[in-house]
Amino acid sequence: MHVQIEDLTFQYRNAKTPTIKNFSLSIDKGEIISILGDSGSGKSTILRLIAGLEIPQSGTIKIDGKTILSHTHFTPPEKRGVGMVFQDYALFPHMTVAKNIMFGLRNMKKAEKLARLEEMLELINLKDFKNRYPYELSGGQQQRVALARALAPAPSLLIFDEPFSNLDASLQEKIRGELRVLLKQTGITSIFVTHDQADAKALADRIVYIKNGTIERIVSSTSLTFKVNRAKEKVLTIQ
Amino acid sequence: MQLIRHAKQHLNIWAILSLVFVAVILFPNLLIGFKFFTEPNENWEHIKFYLMRDYINNTATILIFTAILTILIGTSLAWLIIMYEFPLRGFFRWGLILPLAIPPYIGAYTYHGLLNYTGVIQTTLRNTFDIQVNQSYFNIMSTQGAVFIFTLFLYPYVYTITKSFFQYQSASLIENAILLGSSPTSTFFRVALPLSRATIVGSVTLVMLEVLNDYGVVSYFGIQTFSTAIFRTWYGMKDLDSALKLAGTLMFIVIVVLILEKMLRGRKRYSYASTKVRPIHPKRLKGWKGWLLFAYSFAIFSIAFLVPLAQLLYWAFMTYETIWSQAFFQLAKNSIFVASITSTIIISIALIIANFTRMHQSLFTKLVSRVTTLGYSIPGAAIAIAIITIFISIDTFLAKWDTGIVLRTSLVMLISAYVIRFLAIGYNSVEAGFEKIGNTFTEASRLLGASTIRTFFMVDLPLMKNAIAAGFILVFVDILKELPLTLFLQPFNFATLATQAFKYANDERVQEASIASLLIILISATAIFIFHRVLEKKEAN
Repeated sequence: MHVQIEDLTFQYRNAKTPTIKNFSLSIDKGEIISILGDSGSGKSTILRLIAGLEIPQSGTIKIDGKTILSHTHFTPPEKRGVGMVFQDYALFPHMTVAKNIMFGLRNMKKAEKLARLEEMLELINLKDFKNRYPYELSGGQQQRVALARALAPAPSLLIFDEPFSNLDASLQEKIRGELRVLLKQTGITSIFVTHDQADAKALADRIVYIKNGTIERIVSSTSLTFKVNRAKEKVLTIQ
Repeated sequence: MQLIRHAKQHLNIWAILSLVFVAVILFPNLLIGFKFFTEPNENWEHIKFYLMRDYINNTATILIFTAILTILIGTSLAWLIIMYEFPLRGFFRWGLILPLAIPPYIGAYTYHGLLNYTGVIQTTLRNTFDIQVNQSYFNIMSTQGAVFIFTLFLYPYVYTITKSFFQYQSASLIENAILLGSSPTSTFFRVALPLSRATIVGSVTLVMLEVLNDYGVVSYFGIQTFSTAIFRTWYGMKDLDSALKLAGTLMFIVIVVLILEKMLRGRKRYSYASTKVRPIHPKRLKGWKGWLLFAYSFAIFSIAFLVPLAQLLYWAFMTYETIWSQAFFQLAKNSIFVASITSTIIISIALIIANFTRMHQSLFTKLVSRVTTLGYSIPGAAIAIAIITIFISIDTFLAKWDTGIVLRTSLVMLISAYVIRFLAIGYNSVEAGFEKIGNTFTEASRLLGASTIRTFFMVDLPLMKNAIAAGFILVFVDILKELPLTLFLQPFNFATLATQAFKYANDERVQEASIASLLIILISATAIFIFHRVLEKKEAN
């Protein structure tokens, strides 16, 4: 098991009931997981707990066999090796695309950093945009930069908070397909949070349905559904 | 175990520094509170039996009448400016804030100079019209005079805050009332006034805190209030203990004012939830009605800004040859030096505390925020006396170790007092800045492996540039104008524009105070112009 989450329980300071109750989940290396639920179901909170942005009342999280959260231990977000793509991307507005992508690259020689930057720009197909500022990019481009920025430090786990909610519908479908290919290509383990069934189905290997902070059911996407989706996408692009 | 983990998560450099600063701010307040309950000496009995009644009467009279008058002038101007279009409205909109650039003590000696027997008004009446006036009508050095001065130079607090409430918070409600057939007058009394009660109470509380903080006006006019009493007890009687007890009593009044504010605000918090707030479209007034509003606005603008400014300019022309010298530049340099250093310190502390409270939202950090902004409600006289007491102890301690350092004669004492009093202003700007940028950039940075310190310098600070600049300017201007703390805590042989101007005025050399006063007004007015004119335009676009 690559990521092991056990018995996570979390309650916001002013809330009467816990937002997350006894949440457990194991994820294989390279697997893509979708956490699907309505707003208020606690799905985004799970991401924040994994990232270390909130501290749960109980539970343990292990990544790659290393405990990052337990009863006695708390690894701060900067040391967890978890990358995150935010809902609104959170690209630093005062830095260029290149600076944004290189922000997380530390303890590296300058040349190595630049090489990694080129590699990332190639991956997201935005080579000519490296000196632009985020506000000079379209929504789809911004999202790709956010992805490259999160991927650059080679995190052991990548998490996405509603990655498509800020894109218009036609763009959503296109990017969704691209993203799955890209993630499988890099072999990175990832977790998506979404409220959109179609997003979850198109992207994930497994879908975790969540309601009121607990897991309702976990469904493995059959390869068939993906094939259907792929076919649909092709039809769309031809049109 | 849970506790250790939590401590590990929360106890970082930001928390430790914040706690140290909060302790430093809290200490003088606790000292005043503590001394209030210690065994009194004979002086205190004397003060309590013979003088206290006067202090309370005068302070309360000035406080109450200033509050009523500033509400009347402030809210009426705000309403008229927002609702009607009349000649020069665009200018008055922000021009009516300008009196705030004139510190009340400068207003006080300027008006005294204007109105006294040798002043321009009486001289003109005597020489040109041969009219001898009854001197008691022209005597401004009284409690009524103090109310007049405070009202003129402090009403902009009520005006600005109420105006922006009418404009941004209640626009659609007011327009709806009018569409429902309510007349403008009844809309004002039945809709606008009840809606803005909390806002008006909040703004007039600021006015009252300024009045309680004042030393310059009441001391120049020779009125016995707590501020003047504290300094006289200390300087005249050398009785620090009784002075501290007076400070405690004054703080008690402040607490009463703040409790009253809470009660009058009520539980109702009206804030309009809609994100798209349209400003009200003003109604054009034609003919004499429009000119009437013009006359009202112009009258207030004149007596609160133009007239004192003209008088100061006239004096400046009379005296600039003697005043415009090396000594004057030294004063300006002192003022700017001490204001820049203190503003930098205040903004740095504010950034540290605000970053701490935003990283860990809890009851405790809320308390930290409260303490940080506490200083602004405490009158200068009270802070001064507490700081002096503390530094005497520190110096005694240092003397025991033969260090040869005497902090009382250095700027350290003055700057500490400034920090305690004005931290709130810097903190509010910085906190608003953090609120505006939100937490996601910071979270993104940390998830990319940056520590809180690297995040602060690489991400937070560059994004906060505007808020930091705004906070710096506000604190800088306030320190430039500050009188009571500077007057009593400045080192020997060190004076600022404010203290020197006040000294000239007290030595019956009011003309010579004019250039320093003008410089203070000019810098403050520029800041007001930047904040209200430039920024308001930016927002409108």
